[in-house]
Amino acid sequence: MKRSCDNRQGTIPPGVFDSRLYEEFELRAKAVSAELFRIRRPDEAVSIILDIVNETGAGSFASVPCPLIEASGIVEALKGNGVAVYTEQADIAEHIGTVDIGMSGVEFGIAECGSVCQDALAVETRLVSSLPPLHIVFMRSGNIVPGIEDALEIISGFFTEGYVSWITGPSRTADIERVLTIGVHGPSRFIIIAVDEETDGGAA
Amino acid sequence: MSKRRNLKKEVREKLNDDVLRDALGRFAEVYPAARAKALENIEDLDALRASLRDMKRDAVGRIDELADTFEAEATKRGVTVFRAKTGEDLKKYILDLCRARGVKGVVKSKSMASEEVDLNPALEEAGIGVTETDLGEWIISLAGHKPSHMVMPAIHLNRYQVSEYFSRELDTSIEPDIAFMVQTARVTLREKFLRADMGITGANFGIAENGAVGLVTNEGNGRLVTSLPPIHVVIIGYEKLIPALRDAAPILRLLPRGATAQLMTSYMSLIAGPTPVMVKRNGGWKEEHKEVHYILLDNGRLAAARDDTFREIYQCVRCGSCLNVCPVYALVGGHVYGGHTYAGGIGAILTAFMSGMEAFEEFNELCIGCRRCTTVCPGMIDIPGLIEELRLRSVREHGLPFLMDKIFDVMTNRRLFHGLLRAASVAQKPFTSEGLVRHLPLFLAGMTKDRSLPSIANVPLRDRLDNVIKKIDNPVQRVGFFSGCAMDFVFPETGENVIRVLQDLDMEVVYPDGQGCCGKPVSATGDVDHTKKIAMNNIEAFEACGVDAIVCACPTGVEQLRGYPRLFEADGEWKKRAQRMAGRVEEFCSFVAREYEKRGRLEKAPTRPDAVTVTYHDSCHLKRVLGISEEPRKLIESVAGCKLVEMKDADACCGMSGAFGVRHSNLSIPILKRKMKHIEETGAEIVACACSGCMVQLRGGIDRLTPDKKMKHIADILAEHISN
Repeated sequence: MKRSCDNRQGTIPPGVFDSRLYEEFELRAKAVSAELFRIRRPDEAVSIILDIVNETGAGSFASVPCPLIEASGIVEALKGNGVAVYTEQADIAEHIGTVDIGMSGVEFGIAECGSVCQDALAVETRLVSSLPPLHIVFMRSGNIVPGIEDALEIISGFFTEGYVSWITGPSRTADIERVLTIGVHGPSRFIIIAVDEETDGGAA
Repeated sequence: MSKRRNLKKEVREKLNDDVLRDALGRFAEVYPAARAKALENIEDLDALRASLRDMKRDAVGRIDELADTFEAEATKRGVTVFRAKTGEDLKKYILDLCRARGVKGVVKSKSMASEEVDLNPALEEAGIGVTETDLGEWIISLAGHKPSHMVMPAIHLNRYQVSEYFSRELDTSIEPDIAFMVQTARVTLREKFLRADMGITGANFGIAENGAVGLVTNEGNGRLVTSLPPIHVVIIGYEKLIPALRDAAPILRLLPRGATAQLMTSYMSLIAGPTPVMVKRNGGWKEEHKEVHYILLDNGRLAAARDDTFREIYQCVRCGSCLNVCPVYALVGGHVYGGHTYAGGIGAILTAFMSGMEAFEEFNELCIGCRRCTTVCPGMIDIPGLIEELRLRSVREHGLPFLMDKIFDVMTNRRLFHGLLRAASVAQKPFTSEGLVRHLPLFLAGMTKDRSLPSIANVPLRDRLDNVIKKIDNPVQRVGFFSGCAMDFVFPETGENVIRVLQDLDMEVVYPDGQGCCGKPVSATGDVDHTKKIAMNNIEAFEACGVDAIVCACPTGVEQLRGYPRLFEADGEWKKRAQRMAGRVEEFCSFVAREYEKRGRLEKAPTRPDAVTVTYHDSCHLKRVLGISEEPRKLIESVAGCKLVEMKDADACCGMSGAFGVRHSNLSIPILKRKMKHIEETGAEIVACACSGCMVQLRGGIDRLTPDKKMKHIADILAEHISN
């Protein structure tokens, strides 16, 4: 999978992340209707996501690889439960218009505004995060920067070309009578799974 | 050029549009608190605004260099960059590209620049289907409207109207349920996204160092427009260029907060160079590189960049905060208070550069000059100041209308002018022609509904001086009193009270008979020649009496007198004389508060059960130009027997603003009524202010709407409590 930054750890200055900022990040993200689950180990994500599958009746996933998703074993668990999971680029492109849930990893969160930052150079990353009605992201709970300024500082370190997205809650509009309505062109639910434990392979 | 607009008619129509009035009225009520909440976790807002301003100032100062770097960096990454001098150039480029690539369907995310140059009609004429995908933009494109707000383009429509447009477009009955309509838009537009051959977006910023563009959106349409079609065209104005990615920080921190009171929009995308896209060929999906074009649009922007004054418009990030606090916008919306594309005061300025002075002249007078926008603008743009400067240029270019020219001749001749005012006090309604009503001081205007306009006093202040001016033994200071027309001819009792308060401080008060109008009604129209003559007259009058300070109890007068030196840039001798005068000018409240403090009289008086309640209205110019808001309150509280109660939005405009209140009385009255409602809510017996313009308006409103209350100048309150 293509990435704007191949060596994130090398470009992220030491000490910029602070896990103590998680509470503020959570507060801000919840304020814009993101749903958060903080877990210790990646495999704890399985029961959370299977609950979401039961609750929504979702029958299909499109998922792009990231270390946390791999460590969680969720793709295998979903398949074992009879849920279709598309992970190959061409399959994702073919089915993205009809899959129920998109799943991807993000690099870090921003406490100031409850946003997550995603390396979105790979087109499949953008497809799974934009088109399905529900989007689940994995992130490390310790990867939080205080503010927007800090986030841009990090991105400046690696971003010479490509596509970087910040995602802040679900898609929304207030274009009719200024009534807040969730889920226009993007997902109507945005779920963040924040994992405490370190895993191999850098950020998310 | 379309036929000339009839502004008065347009205003009348919008004032009768209940849907619009309701939507804008409710928004104006909730916006300030929502914005304040979004700014809660910003430590030093003014420092952040200043950093945005400084960053943009630096950018416009080297705009050619930034544009060259931006172009070079984007080209290096595989983007084709085209510089469009005009809208025609832009349209031709896109049409040629569409033809060359066989484009049949285009999806767009929001681009105001494309609306500025009428791109959609050009594409449609060429048989290319074009779909706006931002919900608000889609709605107005179905309605055939222009955006009425920069961020909320369909704020003028309600759900019932939207359901009618949807039903017509989809040829089926769509229920006026907002959630359902949003879902309908999702399904309908999803098809368009998946089939489109080209995506067109604007850009919130373009980064020179890496040729990237930044997009903020809430609906997610921006990500789809830039990810699904194989061709992406970015339309970006020169004003959006910034040096480095780091420089986007103040924009990203302030734009969403100001625009929609969000800490961040749902999506923010940074895109540099062509990114992968999936293309279906022979039944299989293949990853390819997208074709990307940047169109860097001039259309008047570079002329603004080369103008020392107007390069300030590069500080605009199109958040619309200025509209959200504008009392006139809240009444008529952006279709009337706006030009071809851009709404409000900032819209008037942008229009001048993008569509020309004639378009500016058609609606700029709707700026009431209250300066509330300057307190919220993230880029710290002096919108009313730039509008005044454009008016000045317009007069320089086209001259004054004949009638105004003659009237100003009269005002410049003090004896003749005062003679007319005296005559008016007898006749009371001598002038009814529109030109006079607009451009003579407003108290000649007579009466209007819901507001009495004050009549001219039988005896002006200048003829009452013998009764009030006392000889002071061993005066501490010799002070000149500049009354201004209103205090001379409409509120002479207040003028007398100013003198009493100063004399109570053991000051000798001098009132030079040679003084006349401060010149504001004239300079406001951009007429420098007549303003100069008026200024010279006042300078001479005060030089002749040799005073230490010149006190004026009208903030506009203070501002005007202090601005005299600017009139004489080319005349060293007069400039010096003007500076000498300007340096002595003191605003009454701040002057008296300082003197009271020296004498230990500014302490808060002990509360008394029988105290009268006083609520204080901040004059726009006293608070936002002169920065005086604490002193009048302290003065009220220093008076034993007065209890200060604050009203909601004490610093919101009362709706007068000189000639505006008369020329646009149908706008002035609703603004006044809102103020009166807030006054009413306090239950105060006395309404205090320190500006004669506000006094005219508020006294008129009280007279008609709440006759049990009294309107007083701070000088009146102080003078009444001077112990004899």
